[in-house]
Amino acid sequence: METPIKSKVFEQFNEATKTLLNPVLQDWKKQGGKIIGYFCSTVPEELITAAGLTSFRMRATGSTSTEMSDAFFSSINCSFPRHCFNLALTGEFKFLDGVVCVNSCDHVRRIYDNWKRFVPDTQFIEVMSLPRKTDPPQIAWYRDEINLLREKLEKHFGVKISDKTLWKAIKLHNETRRLQKKLYELRKKDKPPITGSETLAVMVAGTAMPKAQYNDMLRELLDELKGVEGPGDHRARLMLVGGILDDPAYVKVIEDQGGLVVTDSLCFGTRIMWVEVNENIKDPAEALARYYVAERPSCPRFYGEHDNRSNYVINMCREFKCDGIIGERLMFCDSWLVEHYMLGQDLKAAGIPMLKLDREYITGGVGQLRTRAQAFLETIGR
Amino acid sequence: MALVDKHPEMVRYISELEWFKFLREQTVALIEIPEMQLQVKTLDSLLSMYGRIIDAVENNKPFLASYYCLAPELYTAMDLPYYMVMQTPFLASSVPYLLKDIDAAEEMGLGNDLCTAIRLSIYYVEANLSPLPTCALNLLYPCDGAPLLHEVIKRNQRWRNIPMFAPDPPYYMDERSLNYFAGELRNMVKFIEKHTHRKLDLDKLKETIECSNQMFRLWDEYNQLRRNVPSPHGWGIGGPQCFSQAWVYQAGTPEGVDWFKKLVEIAELNVKAGVGPVPQEKIRLFWFDLLPFGWVFEFLPWLESEWGAVMVMDMFANFPYTMIDTSSEEKMWLGLAKRNLFDSPMVRQARGVADNFANDIRRIVKDYKIDVVIWPGHMGHKDGSATVGIMRETCRDLNVPFIHLGLDLFDKRYSTPDQIKDKISQFFRAMGLG
Ligand code: SF4
Ligand code: SF4
Repeated sequence: METPIKSKVFEQFNEATKTLLNPVLQDWKKQGGKIIGYFCSTVPEELITAAGLTSFRMRATGSTSTEMSDAFFSSINCSFPRHCFNLALTGEFKFLDGVVCVNSCDHVRRIYDNWKRFVPDTQFIEVMSLPRKTDPPQIAWYRDEINLLREKLEKHFGVKISDKTLWKAIKLHNETRRLQKKLYELRKKDKPPITGSETLAVMVAGTAMPKAQYNDMLRELLDELKGVEGPGDHRARLMLVGGILDDPAYVKVIEDQGGLVVTDSLCFGTRIMWVEVNENIKDPAEALARYYVAERPSCPRFYGEHDNRSNYVINMCREFKCDGIIGERLMFCDSWLVEHYMLGQDLKAAGIPMLKLDREYITGGVGQLRTRAQAFLETIGR
Repeated sequence: MALVDKHPEMVRYISELEWFKFLREQTVALIEIPEMQLQVKTLDSLLSMYGRIIDAVENNKPFLASYYCLAPELYTAMDLPYYMVMQTPFLASSVPYLLKDIDAAEEMGLGNDLCTAIRLSIYYVEANLSPLPTCALNLLYPCDGAPLLHEVIKRNQRWRNIPMFAPDPPYYMDERSLNYFAGELRNMVKFIEKHTHRKLDLDKLKETIECSNQMFRLWDEYNQLRRNVPSPHGWGIGGPQCFSQAWVYQAGTPEGVDWFKKLVEIAELNVKAGVGPVPQEKIRLFWFDLLPFGWVFEFLPWLESEWGAVMVMDMFANFPYTMIDTSSEEKMWLGLAKRNLFDSPMVRQARGVADNFANDIRRIVKDYKIDVVIWPGHMGHKDGSATVGIMRETCRDLNVPFIHLGLDLFDKRYSTPDQIKDKISQFFRAMGLG
């Protein structure tokens, strides 16, 4: 499925999803800029921006093997951390000036332990303690976590993160969220000017370059897409629900079968931008804590929020006029297995068809994916 | 009317009770052996708790669903019986219908790569095979599986209206975490009081904690005896039974204290006589996980008979036995927070950073003259599997052989007992052990 996007700026976004150190980041480095990798979308990127650094959402783009990390992880571990750690061992993340981990899941939290021991050239490595619940004591706990990380960044990088600079960063990131939301709004059209796989490229690029520059580029893309219509030849409109999906090629396989992905609940999708950080609170750390723990659409890492998550998916599905939902999950991921188990029941009750797909982090042979997507489209498509 | 007609959710619980009665009969037949006398006492305390839960259901009395690592001393002090939703895999996985239930869980759409203990527990809740408590204390640690199970519980139609509270675990081991978790426990008690109409009497709590301190002190004393060569006991008695008494069925009771006294007495006799579970102890092993409860009898006796390999220590048998200071209310809360978050087995290691595992290996290998560390690599322990390299290196530094198996503690079809035996035999031979 092709849309008419013939745009230079889109090519730059696309390029950024195919590499780790993309040209924009290379320039940033050349100018003496520093980059911090972070492992989960619950790490407050705003803090990194406020420290004058660029945040980079960790992924293992380009990885072809887990040969070296297999000595540290096991075959029952999710392939995402295994590929990431393999790249760390082979020196592909040398461009990072620091890494921030979080106890997001049992697989990823161990990256911290292994990285700390076996990738000794990373000078700045921290792990944040993310609460499981979303109540006021948990918000207070995470606010303190944010302030502790703030102090550590200040100390290590010799910078001052004042409330003023932090608010400035929050505003900048909120602007990113608003622009991304505008892009999603275009996908509500009957003939969206941009596909799901293209949108994912734009979203992934947003986690791999300085936000100010990204915002300028995204504005340019939005201008280019004004009034543009897509071919509208799809058989069905789909929503994707899952965790870390950063490979537009995976989405393209689904779209090539005729299922146009028009929205999602993904870590590189709406969950990181549909809601903004509240700017009407006095303390910026408190505003961030509220946002990351309680206000933005949650993922299954948070306990007690399943009903809200299901409602979010169902509302989103209706708002974007989707015909069905694909739940994607990386093999051995407990969080998304159980979430999809529950969501499947809720969607059935709501009369929304769902296809559950297990996958490996690196998109390999696509035969099975193609067949299953085709079969799903047969049942729901026009 | 039979209880199960009115309360169909009690069917499994009652069959478990019957199973334990059967095991008790088998054990009574060997009552001449001092260890068996203790086993009978263990089963009696277990049956008594089952009885209390059934009585509570029958007579509409309050009872809790909770966990060993959510301060069970509190429930003893409040005279509230509790059961664990994960009870079957943890304490009763020798039941004859286990594999059938595992298959049923898979058929429900839970796949086969989620921890079997979690899958089974989800199945029991979803299939209405778990007692419905007055209120539930949900567990959010040590792994991803626990909160996910409780998310399913929270959403289940029959459980939806049951009040629930889940203390939130911090990731670190420091003062700040302790204060935070103590706050969570205080809120938990307010919640229990509200929903069970039982008040926590601080004098009673003090008394209970002093009892549990005594139990932990005796447990520690018992563990010192296991340092002896030969170890007075192997897998047959020790960690799991101590765990069941101190953390589950007799938390902070005088009966629990008596149980531990008896255990120390028996072990002392063995030490004095220089005897252990095998005629000749050849290998002293540290099994760093739960025991493979689903197929324990098909495997652990073999280790002893075939290799003279004695399980001197396991994950549930050893932790810092920090005493709780009962001199003030504040100190009791902090002490409970510490015991349940930093000390309690499995939680202390798996909840936080990998150093917690590695430090235990270092301590135990040294203290117990361990010849080999077995890292079972249970399929549910994904965080443990992601530290296998660190543990291997830790053992290399200690110059002690390390083997990672890869198994399912509950489902013997994942890696069969024969496959595991082969793997271990090859390793022992290669290492020149035994
Ligand atoms: S699913 Fe949740 S815990 Fe996992 S990476 Fe995404 S935001 Fe983080
Ligand atoms: S997909 Fe699941 S297991 Fe893998 S990193 Fe994300 S949350 Fe963890």
